[in-house]
Amino acid sequence: MNAFKPYILNALVFLPLLGTIIMLMYDQIVGKNEESLRRIALFFSTLTFIASLPLIWWTGDPALSVNVPWVENLGINYHLEVDGLSLWLVLLTTMLMPIAILSGWTSVHDKVREYLAFMLVLETGMIGVFLAMDMILFYLFWEVMLVPMYFLIGVWGGERRIYAAIKFVLYTMVGSLLMLVAIIALYLLHGDAQVGGKATFDIVTITKNLADSNFLSFNQQYWMFLAFGLAFAIKVPLFPFHTWLPDAHVEAPTAGSVILAGVLLKMGTYGFMRFNLPMFPEAAHHFAVPIMVLAVIGIIYGALVAMVQPDMKKLIAYSSVSHLGFVMLGMFAFTDMGMQGSLYQMLNHGVSSGALFLVVGIIYERRHTRQISEFGGLATPMPVFSTLFLIIAFSSIGLPLLNGFVGEFLILIGTFNSTYSRAFAAFATTGVILSAVYMLWMVQRVVFGEITSEKNRNLPDLNLREKFVLVPLVILIIFMGVYPSFFLNRTAEQVKQIRTVVEKNKPSNPVADNLK
Amino acid sequence: MQSLNLNYYYVLPHIILSITGIMSLLFGAFNKQAHRDLVFINSAGLITAGVSTYRLWNLVSSNAKDGPLTAFSGMVVLDHMSLAFIFIFLIVAFLSTLLSLNFLEDEDQSPEEFNSLLLFATVGMMLMASAGDMVMVFLGLEIASIATYVLAGYRKTDLRSNESALKYFILGSFSTAFLLYGMALVYGATGSTNLETISNAIKSGNNAITAQPMVMELLYVGAGMLLVGFGFKISTAPFHVWTPDVYQGAPTSVTAFMATGPKAAAFVAFLRIFVFTFAASYSFQLHTTWVNLLQVLAILTMIIGNIVALSQTDIKRVLAYSSIAHAGYALIGFLADDWISVAFYMLTYSIMNIGAFAVVSVMAGKGDEKTELENWAGMGFKSLGLSIALLVFMLSMAGMPLTGGFMGKFFIFKTAWDKGFHIIVIVAVLNSAISVYYYLRPMVMLFFRDENETNPTPLMSWTTYVTILLALAGTFYLGIMPGRLFSLLEVAKDVLVK
Repeated sequence: MNAFKPYILNALVFLPLLGTIIMLMYDQIVGKNEESLRRIALFFSTLTFIASLPLIWWTGDPALSVNVPWVENLGINYHLEVDGLSLWLVLLTTMLMPIAILSGWTSVHDKVREYLAFMLVLETGMIGVFLAMDMILFYLFWEVMLVPMYFLIGVWGGERRIYAAIKFVLYTMVGSLLMLVAIIALYLLHGDAQVGGKATFDIVTITKNLADSNFLSFNQQYWMFLAFGLAFAIKVPLFPFHTWLPDAHVEAPTAGSVILAGVLLKMGTYGFMRFNLPMFPEAAHHFAVPIMVLAVIGIIYGALVAMVQPDMKKLIAYSSVSHLGFVMLGMFAFTDMGMQGSLYQMLNHGVSSGALFLVVGIIYERRHTRQISEFGGLATPMPVFSTLFLIIAFSSIGLPLLNGFVGEFLILIGTFNSTYSRAFAAFATTGVILSAVYMLWMVQRVVFGEITSEKNRNLPDLNLREKFVLVPLVILIIFMGVYPSFFLNRTAEQVKQIRTVVEKNKPSNPVADNLK
Repeated sequence: MQSLNLNYYYVLPHIILSITGIMSLLFGAFNKQAHRDLVFINSAGLITAGVSTYRLWNLVSSNAKDGPLTAFSGMVVLDHMSLAFIFIFLIVAFLSTLLSLNFLEDEDQSPEEFNSLLLFATVGMMLMASAGDMVMVFLGLEIASIATYVLAGYRKTDLRSNESALKYFILGSFSTAFLLYGMALVYGATGSTNLETISNAIKSGNNAITAQPMVMELLYVGAGMLLVGFGFKISTAPFHVWTPDVYQGAPTSVTAFMATGPKAAAFVAFLRIFVFTFAASYSFQLHTTWVNLLQVLAILTMIIGNIVALSQTDIKRVLAYSSIAHAGYALIGFLADDWISVAFYMLTYSIMNIGAFAVVSVMAGKGDEKTELENWAGMGFKSLGLSIALLVFMLSMAGMPLTGGFMGKFFIFKTAWDKGFHIIVIVAVLNSAISVYYYLRPMVMLFFRDENETNPTPLMSWTTYVTILLALAGTFYLGIMPGRLFSLLEVAKDVLVK
């Protein structure tokens, strides 16, 4: 069994790619048939999901690791591993992908083969980002993933797709290229320090050596935290860097929005947890207050802007800014609860806002509009849809017994108990209330009341395919709300490790003692 | 003074290519429709030259402890650097030969002059790489340049091509004059044109020069003029203005050659004179002076190249400005005194650029009619393979991982950062981010715009197809498995240190 384990990781990265190749050849060999192309894509993404399931029980097993030299003279390794930090994010990715492919089953008719190929390549990239344990490998997946997303927005997007696609790529590129410089600098400094012997890009080795003896001066940490942090903050997106997000979300096709909201944003927060906190702990303390301030601004600002949006997709996009603010807040509280909550909230947001985008996609397919004012009283023609929509909206608000509650509660408690000002928690709580305002208001205007437009009177309810898309997510929403320890137990140890490292490097007075 | 060592074995690749060039010319004289045969003759010559270069590489490796091999009274120097660059030239010449066949056949141009000029230009470039004497650098440069001037104007009835050739010729001669004047002044200061003698003359502690302020000034002015001359050839700002016009007007397959081969050749001669002769271990601030000057030039080059490229609407001009920007990136490796990263960069640059120009030559159609990006609207899904190939080359130039362009940039940035050139690396990185905009713009045209039904699907000849495939394979090989090449070059580095 142990000999078999490393193959799982390789399979996760390469199965979607294999699917792409088979799809591209299918056209040449068998002939044009959109339906079978969709089946192939669905088959491979489902297979990837099934292959990822054993990770739940195997995580932490040292046999579950692939580490072979790639470019030996530069110290680049092909190193894949999964730990508590990445486990659930990998599963989130593999789970959302078949759902996203299903969601576009009837709405995408243009260039189906290329569309599905890009989706699968995107999956490879995302899984790779979470599994990569070598900085160059991480950077590789991080960048390569941009290309399919660029095309998904640019070719299959809405009216302003070209603008949105270019903005998305440029924003990400600026951040990530500075990250490359920081990666090089870290590699050279680690090599100079001679702690691990050979110079390496290996994340595990560098993190371990840094935890044992911190060979970086505060100044070095400061700049590297900024360089890594900018790349991740743009991706999250943290408050002033968020402007690409509404554009990209609104213009992307439904499946693209689901993946963007569900997984891509998590790569930013994951990056903070993987690199910034354990590698540059002193700088993390130094920047904790500014980041928490930005996070709180993001929470409130995102919620306020979401409230006035007439377009459902835009509303959900801004609600993402708000929710990701919670994630950042909990992470920089540097308490077990806050960080656990932060990790949990990443998953919650992936599931709930992914589901919300699917909901919008479903009614967009029927009416070809996303304006809230066009709808009203959908509960009468579409009862099943309305029920599911309501549960998903509640999950996004954070109703107890649903997943959102657990995450937000942990984050707020964790922030309240942290060494930083309790005002952060207090202000953030208003975000919870505001989210109830915009979400419930939207649900009310779309689902309840009288039927305002004749066009809505005879809309068909969910068909079997759409049920297959939404029901698993709703079940997951309830399961995550009722039994969070199933998830949290598996992340606890990793979070604790990171927190210990951060704690150890805490300056005596975190706010005043900034510049040594 | 070295002994007159007439070792023809050391210049065997040069000899082989010269003979092949003459054979091409003669073969064409007797056989008018010899397009395809000439490709085979050229390829055979290039491959034979490649084999003999490989043997010389082994010879240099085994003789490493005695220093570089010299012949013809020090006129020819063989070391790993010259041979590595000779390999690059051979690859460039091979791909250009393949690529140009379609142009020659389609437009009924005479193939024999074209093919032999291509080879003579390559011989000139190889002489520049293996030059041990300033006179030899000049000779090689002239041989390569004059052949390329003619090639640029090869479409004789096309005004743009004529303009390109004339512009290239006038500005090229102008820069050569600078170079020659610089050489004369350096000769005046040091009393020799031999590079080794020069480097000994300016070694610290050698009072013959350091004691005389006049002589020193002569040397500085001479070095400055050399810098200007080489700056023209590798198109650094502010000496870059000829590049876009010349690249745009020349036939695309010639542009592919011009943008890669002569640029790499200028780089190797530049390296030989500045990094090795006016080297860091030598003296009186000559080294720091040119490093500081070149640092400013490199930053200017990157910024001007990238910013101006943003507003270009013609793909060949976009690629021209991109090649200016790439000269800036390569100069960073130059500043770090590291010829290996420059050589690796020029290799990746050459392969991806020839690939990109090959795609452009197909998309633009007969006579290079459609080089405006607007003409490409919606062609992407119609000719998917071609567009994806262009995407790969463009992403490689932008420095996307998995492609050679990334490894080249990564290698250069790493070396430069290690040597302490922090600011210029950050400038370069931000420039790469800007460049993504114009590298992805052809994709916007090809894929995101609605299809223009009147556009015919471009047709591709099999040689162009092979060129693109080879360039693709090279781009991915250098991006995914550069390890072997790196270790080969690392060995060469050890040798140099000894």
